[in-house]
Amino acid sequence: MSDLRRIFSDYGFYVLVVPGIAALLVLLAALFPGKLSLVFKQMRQRALGTALTLLLVMLGVALAVSVFLVLRESGKLFGQSDFGYDVLVGKAGSPLQLTLNTVYHLDVSPGNIPLSACAELLGPQCRPLVKAAVPYAVGDTYQGRYPIVGTLPKLFGYDDAGNLLPEESRIGYRQGHFYGIDGQCFAPDRFQAVIGSEVARREGLRIGSTFQATHGSPKPNETPDIHAEVWTVVGVMKETHTANDRVLFIPLLTFYTIAEHGTGLIEQERLREGEPPPAPEKHEEEEEKHYTVDADGRIHLTLPKNVLAISAILVKSRGGITGQRLIYKINNSTQKLQAVNPAAVMREFFDTFLKSGTTLLIVVAALVSLEAAVSILVSIYNSVAARRREIAILRALGATRRTVVGLICLEAGLIGLFGGIAGVLVGHLVGAVGSVYFERVVGEGIDWVAVGSEEMIYLGAVVLIAVLAGLAPGLKAYRTPVATNLVAG
Amino acid sequence: MAVHLQALKKQYVAPDGGAVPVIDIADFSLANAEQVALVGGSGSGKTTLLHLIAGILTPDSGRIIFERGGERTGIQAEANSHELMVPTDITLLREAERDVFRGRHIGYIFQTHHLLPGFTALENVMLGMTFTGRKLDSEWATHLLREVGLSDRLNYKPDKLSLGQQQRVAVARALANRPMLVLADEPTGALDVRSAQQVLDLIRSLCTEVGAGLLMVSHDPQLTGQLPRVVELKNLNRAAA
Repeated sequence: MSDLRRIFSDYGFYVLVVPGIAALLVLLAALFPGKLSLVFKQMRQRALGTALTLLLVMLGVALAVSVFLVLRESGKLFGQSDFGYDVLVGKAGSPLQLTLNTVYHLDVSPGNIPLSACAELLGPQCRPLVKAAVPYAVGDTYQGRYPIVGTLPKLFGYDDAGNLLPEESRIGYRQGHFYGIDGQCFAPDRFQAVIGSEVARREGLRIGSTFQATHGSPKPNETPDIHAEVWTVVGVMKETHTANDRVLFIPLLTFYTIAEHGTGLIEQERLREGEPPPAPEKHEEEEEKHYTVDADGRIHLTLPKNVLAISAILVKSRGGITGQRLIYKINNSTQKLQAVNPAAVMREFFDTFLKSGTTLLIVVAALVSLEAAVSILVSIYNSVAARRREIAILRALGATRRTVVGLICLEAGLIGLFGGIAGVLVGHLVGAVGSVYFERVVGEGIDWVAVGSEEMIYLGAVVLIAVLAGLAPGLKAYRTPVATNLVAG
Repeated sequence: MAVHLQALKKQYVAPDGGAVPVIDIADFSLANAEQVALVGGSGSGKTTLLHLIAGILTPDSGRIIFERGGERTGIQAEANSHELMVPTDITLLREAERDVFRGRHIGYIFQTHHLLPGFTALENVMLGMTFTGRKLDSEWATHLLREVGLSDRLNYKPDKLSLGQQQRVAVARALANRPMLVLADEPTGALDVRSAQQVLDLIRSLCTEVGAGLLMVSHDPQLTGQLPRVVELKNLNRAAA
């Protein structure tokens, strides 16, 4: 029942708009016989002016509605509190950068942390607080467009042997929602990959397809640095409607097999140890391989374990305040790492940046709406000036001053109503474009169809303002001297 | 419906601030369904007098009384729900009441047709019914247009009609509410002789059909001479004498 109510509240506008307008017009026609058609004929008589005024109102309302829509839906999108994990651990720095990079695959990683940090999280000191921890290594892309993430089968709920883990030890993408795979999960030590549904759909990749990784995200006129290693797709994720639908997941081990990665990690370690800066970069073909492949096709890294690094760790705490305790513990025990609650970070980001920006947009939208109201006023005011003789004729035929004012306000209100409704529809079409953009950027679209109560209130306000805008020309018509204008005619 | 004017005075304020008397009529009556021509020179107050009777202007003093002047018969009886039941002095009415009174009981024909350009002939006639509070009667409007010979022009807009046809639409509109009095302000002034005669005939026959009185201002003695009574305004209006 509550679902029905919610559906009606979100989409009832579309069901009610046509019969609502029809009922309103029938009511007006019944209350003021002949006058409604008179107003429509007056509007038709100056069709161009009416159409342009309608357009202005429509554009103003569309702008405001699209702002309402984006504000509401981005609030839902970025204000989500459920990611399937509640703590992110990464290099000390900006919590927002860490969250945007890890959750939405936006921005660049704040830097690397030792892989051993992940093991420590699962060690005796942290075990009481941590249910599961999954490492993430980022930095490469597929064709510069889709992020490649090195991780463990654990992300998909499998252990290294390919066995399904119990639910409590799995990290999903939402609470109670776990990744589903068409095909199989990658083995941790083979050049295999599980790819997101959107990558598969857009790029035509499927099980058995192979791909190579591109270093970073090359700019349009930059020659891409394509790594030599080749991965084979063994699984395609079922759609999650998250940014991960745009990601290609590869075994963490294979992430280190990329020659530049291995060399880079060694050089970073040397720097950390205070050794001299590394020699100038070698060409890829000269890069030293840091792995071997046995007869069984399994990869064996030759890199020392202490150089292995990752970008972040997704942590599922044991619930309650254990997440907060873990964050406190990590942030107060080392200056090299930071732990954040991604939901809190996104909420803060939304409140700090998006909301204030949206307030400005709402002010702009309000000004545009006001401008539309003024355009109604000016348009009708000018038409009243040109229609003095017609107004005098109406008065001579028995229309009272109030009736004339009412006719003009009715005309203004109808322009506000029709322009407003068109604006709501156009605003939602803008929202549809925004949804496509969001889907591309963060992997998740917005519900651009739903009409919020704030939009309905706004629409009502637009009609009211339009009627009020009709008062000024109405007053001019009110004062039109009948005898003078009849004789002048 | 009979109309009585008693001690009616109206003056305008001249640009120099002085008062210019325009109407000063001691007594004038129009009997029920009577057709009267009002003649006079330019500036003699003819249009002002019609505006006063129609309630468009208010007099400075005096009375304009409308009273029921006999039973209506035939077609016009259909509209008897708005018959004037008691004598009404429109100078005592508020402006809005005068407007409604005018809409219901008085038909007005202007020298130039004063049709609304965006409306068809039929819509212009029905416009006359819009402000009376009555149900719009498209059959009656169509009947009137047929009577004035425009049954094949119902959906023509004014710019597609000749001047004579436009004035015939204006005549039909003035009769749309089955008024008790029709005021015609030089209704044939812009027409050629033949059209003028046609329009006058239509006005008179339709007034007779609905039982309405007619007070027509005209400069054309050929036309005014056809009406049963001709009143020289200079003999009536002391301000014009």
